[in-house]
Amino acid sequence: MLKRRSVLVGLGAAALSPSLSWADAQSPSFLSAARAVDGSYHLCGLSDGGAVLFSIPLPDRGHAAAAHPVRPEAVAFARRPGRFALIVDCATGQEAHRLTPPPDRHFYGHGVFSADGSMLFTTENDLDTLDGRIGLWDAANGYARIGDMPSGGVGPHDIERLPGTDTLVIANGGIATHPESGRTPLNLATMRPNLAYLGPDGEMLEVVELDTALRFNSIRHLDVRPDGLVAAGMQWNGSEAEHPPLILTHRMGETAQLLEAPAQSQRKMIGYVGSITFQSGGAQVAVTSPRGGLMQVFDAETGAFLSDIALEDACGISTLSSGQSLITSGVGSIWGYDAGALTQLGQTSWAWDNHLIAI
Amino acid sequence: MLRTFSLCLAILMPVTATAQSEADITAAIVDDHILPRYAALVVETMALAEVADSSCQPGDPALQAAFHDAFDAWIAVSHITFGPAETDGRYFALSFWPDTRSMTGRSLSTLIADADPIVSTAEAYATVSVAARGLYALEFLLFDPEVSTAGEDAYRCALVQAITADIAATAAQIEADWTGTFAALMRGAGSNDRFQSPDEALRVLFGSLTTGLEFTADLRLGRPLGTFDAPRAARAEARRSGRSLRHVALSLQSLADLADRLATGDPGLRQALADRFDIALDAAARLDDPIFAGVDDPQGRLRVEALQQRVQEVRDLVSSELGPKLGVAAGFNSLDGD
Repeated sequence: MLKRRSVLVGLGAAALSPSLSWADAQSPSFLSAARAVDGSYHLCGLSDGGAVLFSIPLPDRGHAAAAHPVRPEAVAFARRPGRFALIVDCATGQEAHRLTPPPDRHFYGHGVFSADGSMLFTTENDLDTLDGRIGLWDAANGYARIGDMPSGGVGPHDIERLPGTDTLVIANGGIATHPESGRTPLNLATMRPNLAYLGPDGEMLEVVELDTALRFNSIRHLDVRPDGLVAAGMQWNGSEAEHPPLILTHRMGETAQLLEAPAQSQRKMIGYVGSITFQSGGAQVAVTSPRGGLMQVFDAETGAFLSDIALEDACGISTLSSGQSLITSGVGSIWGYDAGALTQLGQTSWAWDNHLIAI
Repeated sequence: MLRTFSLCLAILMPVTATAQSEADITAAIVDDHILPRYAALVVETMALAEVADSSCQPGDPALQAAFHDAFDAWIAVSHITFGPAETDGRYFALSFWPDTRSMTGRSLSTLIADADPIVSTAEAYATVSVAARGLYALEFLLFDPEVSTAGEDAYRCALVQAITADIAATAAQIEADWTGTFAALMRGAGSNDRFQSPDEALRVLFGSLTTGLEFTADLRLGRPLGTFDAPRAARAEARRSGRSLRHVALSLQSLADLADRLATGDPGLRQALADRFDIALDAAARLDDPIFAGVDDPQGRLRVEALQQRVQEVRDLVSSELGPKLGVAAGFNSLDGD
C-alpha cells in the first residue's frame, strides 16, 4: 500500500490544492471495517500505534477502503455483494457522501483512485452476465457515475494502481456469484481466475493466468510495490488434500513467480490468504490466513520462506512507511510486526474485519 | 487401592461408552453413510446404462424410471464431493449444475447438429465438455422439448447411450477408489499423510454437511426464488424432469443422517438437529410445488421462501453448535472470509 502522505509531502501537492489536504487533517494512518460488541458494523480510523481515532456506522458489514491521493477522504466499501460505498471525510471522521451502484451491479468490496484523484475505480459484478466490471466514478464531480468497463474476467475482487501511472491491476477471482444465491460459487466447474492489467480507458494491457492445475486458486488480494512489483494472495477452491502456493508476484511483461512455504507451514494456511502486504521497505511479502490462524513472511525478491507466526483469526495486515506492519484480528487484537519481532499493540472490543488499509 | 481403581472405572465407563472417539465417528460415517450411498449409485447408474442400451428414446418409460432412480442415488451422495469424486473432475462430470451460461443445452445441440462421432464410446465421450456429460445433460436429452427432438433419432440414441455409459463408468471409478484406498485413509486418519489427524477427517465430513446445506438453501432454493420483483422459476434445478423439490428433500434426508452421525456422543444436540431437519423435511413434504413454479406469485413464493428459511435454520444450528463441538474455527474472519 502506498504511503500517500509521504508521497504528498514529496510532491508538495498540498500547495497545489486550495482545499484541505491530508497534511491538514488529524487523519488516521489506517482504516478498517469492524463489528462492534453490539453486532453493529462500523468503519474505524486507526493511528499508526493502533489507537481507534473514530468510528462511523455502516449500513451493513464493510470490507476494504481506498484513500484519495490528495484530499483527506477515503471510500469504504460494503462487503460483497453489497450496494453501498461511503465517502468519509478523514479530517472530521464523518460520512460525506454515499455511492450506490446501478441496479444491475453490486460492489465486490474494493476500489482505487486514479493517480490525480479525479476518478474512482470500483470492482463490480454484472448481475445479468456475471461478468466482472470496473465501475467509473467522477471523484472531481461529487462522485457522479460515469459508466463501467470490463474487468477482464469473472468475480473481480481487489484492484490497485501501478505507482506513478493510471494502469490498473485487477484480481479477477474467477468465481461467479449472484446475490440471489448468496455467496455460493456458481461456476466452480469452469472457473479460471486471472490477474489483469487495464489502461484507465479500459484497454487490456496484459492478462496473467496460472497453470490450469491451479485454476481453482482464486486470485483475490493485491499489494503493489513502488517499483511496480505486484503481489497477489490467493484462495484455494480445489481439493483440501492439496496445499498449493497461495502467493504470486508479478511484474508487467514478465512471468509470474509462485511463493510457497515448507509443507507443514503451507498446510496450516488451510488454502486461504486473507490479506497481503509488502513490508520492510518492500523486501518482504507477508500474508495472513484467518482460517489457519497464521501469518507467513517471505523474501519478496527470492521468494524464500522466512517465518510464520500463529495469530488467532488474524486477517488485516498493512504496512507503514517506516516498514512496520500492523495486523488486526477478528478477536480484537492489534499487533505490530517489525524486523521479525511481533508486539501486541492493543486488545480492543472490535472484531476487525478482513482488511486494514494504510492511507 | 483396587477398590478405588474399580470405582474410578465405574464412573468413567458410561462416559467413554457414549463419547465415541473421533476415529470411530469417522469410520461409522464412511461405512454406514458414504460407502452404501456410492454402492447404490453404482447399481443405479449401471442399471440406467443397461436400460439405455435397449431403450434409448426420450419417451421410454423404462428409461425414464431408470433415470429417476439413478438421479435419486446421486442426490443422496452428491454432498460427498471430496476425495475420489474430485479426482479428474468426476464430480462435475456427473453433476454440471448450476449452469449460469446455458452451456449444457448449447453443447448438446452442437454435438447433435454436427452428429459428432465422439459418441461412439463412453471413453471418447469422457473427453467432451463437462457441460455435456452427466445427469443434467441426460435430463436435457430426455426432457427438454428442443434438445430431445433435435436432429436424428439414431444420433440422439447414441448420445443417450454414451452419456449413460459415461455416468456409470464415472460412478464406478469413484466407488472403486473409495473401497480401494480412500475409505482406509479416512478410517486411519492420523496415521497417514492425507489425513494427518482424526479431526482433519472429521472436519472434511463437517465441510460436506455445511456445503451440502448451503447448496440446497442458496442454489436449489435461492436460484428459482430470485427476487420478489424478478422470480426465476426457469432456474429451478432439474425442472424439466420435475425433480426440483425432490432434490431438496433427498439432500436433506442425507444431510440429516450425516449431521446425526457427526453429533454422536451428544444426545441433546442430536435431538435438536433431528428436530430442525424434521421441520425442514416436513415443510418440503407439504409444499405441493415440484418445480417451484409458484415463485411467480406472492403466495407460492412465500411457501418456497419458508422452506428456504427452514433449511437456513438447520444451517444456523449446525454452525453454532455442531461446528464448535468438532473444533471448527468459527471466528469473524475465519468462518466468513472473502
